[in-house]
Amino acid sequence: MAIENPFLDPLRFERQAPECAIVIFGANGDLTRRKLMPALYRLAYDRRLSAGFAVIGISRTPLSDDQFRDKMLESVKQFSEDTAVDTDVWAAFARGLYYVAGDIGDAALYQRLGQKLMAAESQRHTGGNALFYLSTQPSQYAQAALGIGAAGLGKGTGWRRLVVEKPFGHDLASARDLSRRLHEVFSESDVYRIDHYLGKETVQNILAFRFGNGIFEPLWNRRYVNHVQITGAESIGVEGRGAYYQEAGALADMIQNHLLQVMATIAMEPAASFRAASVRDEKSKLLRSMRAMTPDEVRRNSVAGQYGPARVGGQAIAGFRQEPGVDPQSPTDTYAAVTLFVENWRWAGVPFYVRTGKRLPKRVTEIAIQFNPAPLAIFDQDGGENAPNLLIVRIQPEEGISLKFLSKRPGAGMTLRPVSMDFNYGSSFGERSPSAYETLLLDAIVGDATLYTRQDMVEASWSVVEPIQNVWRETRFDFPNYAAGTWGPAAADEMLARRGHAWRKP
Amino acid sequence: MAASAPERVLRELADLWVTLGKRGQAEGGAGVLRACTLTLVVLAEANDDATALGETIAALMPEHPARTIVVKLSGAGERALAERVYAQCWMPFGERRQICCEQIEITVSDAALADLPSVVLPLAAPDLPVIVWSRSARLFEMPPFGAIARMAAKVVVDSAGFADPKRALRLLAETARSGVLLGDLAWTRLTRWREMLARLFENRDYLAKLARISSVRVVYNGEFATAAWYMGAWIVDALRDAGVNAKIVVGAGRGPAPISVELAGGEFRVALARREDRLVITVDNAENCANLPQPSDYLLMREELGIVRRDAVFERTLASAARLAYATN
Repeated sequence: MAIENPFLDPLRFERQAPECAIVIFGANGDLTRRKLMPALYRLAYDRRLSAGFAVIGISRTPLSDDQFRDKMLESVKQFSEDTAVDTDVWAAFARGLYYVAGDIGDAALYQRLGQKLMAAESQRHTGGNALFYLSTQPSQYAQAALGIGAAGLGKGTGWRRLVVEKPFGHDLASARDLSRRLHEVFSESDVYRIDHYLGKETVQNILAFRFGNGIFEPLWNRRYVNHVQITGAESIGVEGRGAYYQEAGALADMIQNHLLQVMATIAMEPAASFRAASVRDEKSKLLRSMRAMTPDEVRRNSVAGQYGPARVGGQAIAGFRQEPGVDPQSPTDTYAAVTLFVENWRWAGVPFYVRTGKRLPKRVTEIAIQFNPAPLAIFDQDGGENAPNLLIVRIQPEEGISLKFLSKRPGAGMTLRPVSMDFNYGSSFGERSPSAYETLLLDAIVGDATLYTRQDMVEASWSVVEPIQNVWRETRFDFPNYAAGTWGPAAADEMLARRGHAWRKP
Repeated sequence: MAASAPERVLRELADLWVTLGKRGQAEGGAGVLRACTLTLVVLAEANDDATALGETIAALMPEHPARTIVVKLSGAGERALAERVYAQCWMPFGERRQICCEQIEITVSDAALADLPSVVLPLAAPDLPVIVWSRSARLFEMPPFGAIARMAAKVVVDSAGFADPKRALRLLAETARSGVLLGDLAWTRLTRWREMLARLFENRDYLAKLARISSVRVVYNGEFATAAWYMGAWIVDALRDAGVNAKIVVGAGRGPAPISVELAGGEFRVALARREDRLVITVDNAENCANLPQPSDYLLMREELGIVRRDAVFERTLASAARLAYATN
């Protein structure tokens, strides 16, 4: 019988990563430099990583281990937002960084990787555990996984896991095909599809808020909730990613993954426990309860948009079609708004309005739950007394929760005014929150998949989005249809107005 | 004797919030946020460093926003009880809106200590746990302490400051047995040490050698006696859980390290010792250093305030340490 470590004290000890090697495909890419390496360094700084820890970077550029270490040090210095580089901590961390140059399509790369993994195991005592992180072009995901498998690296003396960045396919068929090919090497339980939105503290806090408190859940249904608005707005344009973005579009880039996952978190049934399988089962069930729309319903319940040129804050902003790398006739959506319905007893008939867009007035991601008005209005009908009760969950930039309700204005007379009760996550707890990548990387290393997306969840999301994509593909939109710096096309306002609702201006 | 009126103190607190709110708005800000997750009652001797204590409390507030009641023990003399209210505010992360926590300061003489619970209880934030942090070693042995402990969800002490460490452990164990939820900063100081030792045995090779351990030796200096007994008791209990019976020796030493720990048996030897701000871990002859600054009161209390529930490992270790201390000459 295996002996267990008798010294563990989970109540007091911080969660720590077991010994392992992380293999990053795309080690010279933006994601590695901006997010992954700063997150790993921060974990090391916080003593969360085991001494038996190694990172093996893979990319085409020829680099020595030392050159790779220097490059990563620069990245950590440049992109660690709240962590100064400690020379001693970096020196210990850098000793575990290795590099292998090669092409993902070249079988010889995987032989060299195998040797490096063995070297890391003997030098760093990684225990034979390996986490493969695909931070490459999506078209290379399957190729990399199959290369790992062909070289016999998908199995070893320890565990082997695969982390895949979004997008997970570009439609339902390609998502299924990608999963099928990944499963040739890794079982589904070892595939971690990362959605960094789910690693954000406030998204996790939704679960705490809903299922840790007894007072909200009784209101969380069609009887009390009038409608829900989910907004993922960005003030920036495509920022040099024009070529990628015009292939994806707002619907596939944001709604299919991030915002539908957020919606699943807000609308799911209570899980039996906080175990990965239990939470993901409920999210999956919710996503599968969402109605896939007919073409007529798509035309009534969705709006595509694309931003045109405008002057914002005294600056001339180019339209999407004028962005570098973008086709001047591009039909790509930079804005998408959809009305979705969940067909279950809790939510039947409650519209979920989901919108996202580039070049909107501000960067904000939030969920607004609007409750039904009081059944009888006994106060005078002037002033703000008709303002609905709103529960707003802000995911970024200022994470927090606000409850809006009516209060009597001080003084004579019975005049009501809306007031806001705010819980600001950052200021109520002045502690530094770990970045989404710190949370998710540590989860993957310890084998906790709760915040990762499962195959059935991805397929259910595509089942909702694909019918919309199909109709949009056949529609000739009169783009651009909103000016940069505005809240999107007028048609999106009309979509809500048909049900007597209006978008919030966050 | 000055009588304390909780209603008056609470009214002053309410006025304080109105003033802060008006001031915040007048300065063009968005007003103040009030945050509270517990009531922290700090019992401190009059000669305790008020500035350092104030800084510790201020540092704790962002993660554990609390209504803080600082009780200054003025010692012998006339029966006296007096209080004042003020607020502690900060601007988190450069935001415009400031966040404030309220503080109440009470001065009490030994003769009036028995009245303290009746003053503190009405001042506690409603429906939130009361945590008592007693920085006074002598108070622990005074009769009114029992009533003070009973009003708290948790009592935190520091046995390192107790004059008689063996007696301290026995009293703490008795208090814990009576149902009081206890925390001891002497134990909290060991968390990172224990963590490093535990992490070492995450390595399968070392874990396989656990059964070889036949002796545990803990050497301490100065005020670290209770910590040494805690450490020894915890190691021996954990080894016993794994079916390993090791001989334990805890003794005073003369070296520079406040505590050093050695687990040995056959060819296998694990040693932990502090060297300035580093924890040096030696396994057989291989030495490894980990960054381990001396934990401040802030870090220790931050950990204790995060655990307002039964801590089974501590409770078992406390009972074992008390037995061990009396079995050790």
